[in-house]
Amino acid sequence: MTQLIWDGLFVGSFYALIALGYSMVYGIIKLLNFAHGDIYMLGAFIGFALLTSMGGIPASLSLGALLLVLLASMLLTGTAGVIIERLAYRPLRGAPRLAVLITAVGVSFSLEYGVSAVAGPNPRAFPVRLEGGVFDVLGARVSLPQIVLMLIAAGLMIALNSYIQKTSTGRAMRSIALDTNASLLMGINVNAVITRTFFIGSALAGAAGVMAGAYYGKIDFLMGFIIGLKAFTAAVIGGIGNIKGAMLGGLVLGFVEAFGTEWFGGQWRDVFAFAVLILFLTLRPTGILGERVTERM
Amino acid sequence: MKLGARKTILLGIASAVVLTTAGCGGGLLSSGDSGSTAASGPIKIGMVVPISGSSAPTGAYMKNGAQLAVDEINKAGGVLKGRKLELMVEDEACDAQQAVASANKVVSAGAVVSVGGYCSGATLPTLPIFQKANIPMIIPAANSQDLVKQGLANVFMINGTGKQQSTTALAFMKKSGFATVALVDDNTSYSKDITTETQAQIDKDGSVKVLLNTSVTAGESDYSAVVRNIMGKNPALVYWTGYYQEGGLIINQLKKAGFTGKIMVADGSVDPSLAKIAGAGAEGVFATMTQTPDTIKGAEKWIANYKAKFSSDPGPYSTQSYDAVRLAAKAIEDAGSTKGADIIKALTAIDGFSMFSGPLKFTPEHTLSSGGFVILVIKDGKFVLNSVQP
Repeated sequence: MTQLIWDGLFVGSFYALIALGYSMVYGIIKLLNFAHGDIYMLGAFIGFALLTSMGGIPASLSLGALLLVLLASMLLTGTAGVIIERLAYRPLRGAPRLAVLITAVGVSFSLEYGVSAVAGPNPRAFPVRLEGGVFDVLGARVSLPQIVLMLIAAGLMIALNSYIQKTSTGRAMRSIALDTNASLLMGINVNAVITRTFFIGSALAGAAGVMAGAYYGKIDFLMGFIIGLKAFTAAVIGGIGNIKGAMLGGLVLGFVEAFGTEWFGGQWRDVFAFAVLILFLTLRPTGILGERVTERM
Repeated sequence: MKLGARKTILLGIASAVVLTTAGCGGGLLSSGDSGSTAASGPIKIGMVVPISGSSAPTGAYMKNGAQLAVDEINKAGGVLKGRKLELMVEDEACDAQQAVASANKVVSAGAVVSVGGYCSGATLPTLPIFQKANIPMIIPAANSQDLVKQGLANVFMINGTGKQQSTTALAFMKKSGFATVALVDDNTSYSKDITTETQAQIDKDGSVKVLLNTSVTAGESDYSAVVRNIMGKNPALVYWTGYYQEGGLIINQLKKAGFTGKIMVADGSVDPSLAKIAGAGAEGVFATMTQTPDTIKGAEKWIANYKAKFSSDPGPYSTQSYDAVRLAAKAIEDAGSTKGADIIKALTAIDGFSMFSGPLKFTPEHTLSSGGFVILVIKDGKFVLNSVQP
């Protein structure tokens, strides 16, 4: 039982990290960035490329090298997110939402098959694998890499939350999410803040990508597709547009999947996850922490 | 030139009729023998194998093996008094829709024989396409019982079937003394076929017990659910019948979870990348597999030829694809024509044609008389012949 909870928590933290990017972007420009899952994949491949170019790393330095590559990958993935925003989404700022959505799908495919063309269609084994001690905590088998990764994920999420709540850019993000025109009138540089949002969201997804590569050991160019859908589900469950909701939604989805597969079997995992999505969209579309926003005419 | 509405419609219909009849000559709309019934010119051999996607490396081995045979046969003078063979390779990407599109491409290009087929799930929907065009299929790798069950006259399988693989697996389990086993598949035709067949044979035999028979979803990274399940039941052996991507991940996660039993994989997971993805847990993993070039006695010269031509080592199913092309050439030669019906008759009549898997004679179901499966084991990250054979 505790093993179930631990497994759910672990997978949930990956979902939460990626759902954060989804929620942030939706909150600020009302765009469902379907390419976000592929940013996660991009992060994993950037990490792979950096680690292989570093050559042979002795096992004792592997964690340090991994953290370094994590930071570098976050920076590069964030930049990639900014470039995508500038090229694909900004020109469509005033366009109907459907047009931007279709563009997002287009970006998603371009990223997937672009990476496949550059790195080859075959899955790759990550050069640095996290191995570590295993402890027995209340009947659950907990390994050191899992703890480290969850700490990193939690740290990133706490950092993000304080950024949004305490800094002026964070305040600007929140105000743009409330009312873009009024923010412009108040003198906020909306474009710059949106760029920063994309940077942070993509950096988080990139971090999740590197961590997934290091823990699971295998990356391939389609890995972002299903994760993107799951992260979207997590964001919806928690309340899309809501940062804390994204974190909560990720963990909830992780639990739902863990318990679902335990009761029904491994092949029902995706069925369970997306059934929950449908349930939420029908019964409580604003999600757990979302609020119904009334529009004053 | 301004036409009235009625005249425009009539002109439109007329041009449509003209274009259709012009294209009708030997194109997509003609059924029956789509083979090149021309009396001269190269004979096209179609091959639908994975060129992209996760099975792409195996597709490359198969393509190269077939090309090696084509070049050898052409150098020796071709077939039917000097007509050269031409290999046409299309991508199945281990995906049913893609395979169907590629099969249609091959048929409309005028191929006479098909020598492709790796993923059973992708090959199955192409069977009726080739059957409608009366093109014989020599399948070198795909071996699900679903293919055999179709009972089509134009389908010939030269890889051991799922049933034969299960028999070998059970024999090995008994010989090695594994009393309990967990069967895990990835819910695709090929994979499920093996676990169902293995379960049936185990139940009939009675000396081994199946503790768990479950499926996973392919394409994911996290298999903690099935790992929990296996750890809970604690079998002596886990038999994974899916492909190597998921297999590698499951082996890795089982090792992380502290699984103390042994793991065996089916032939779909036999790929050098399995050990890379599985990491430390790969050592000692068994596999049921048809002969690969490096396990066949006397194949050294063939391997050297392959290496010289393609500057890389041959991999799984390259020998089967090589044999498929040779078999196709022999059948065309025996039939004396490129008509599908004649080639099919010639294939059924073949007795004792020497292939890497032994002398060939098809069973009434158009499968090999003996599966030719052996047990491999991973040593130092590579698959080698296991010391204990059933």
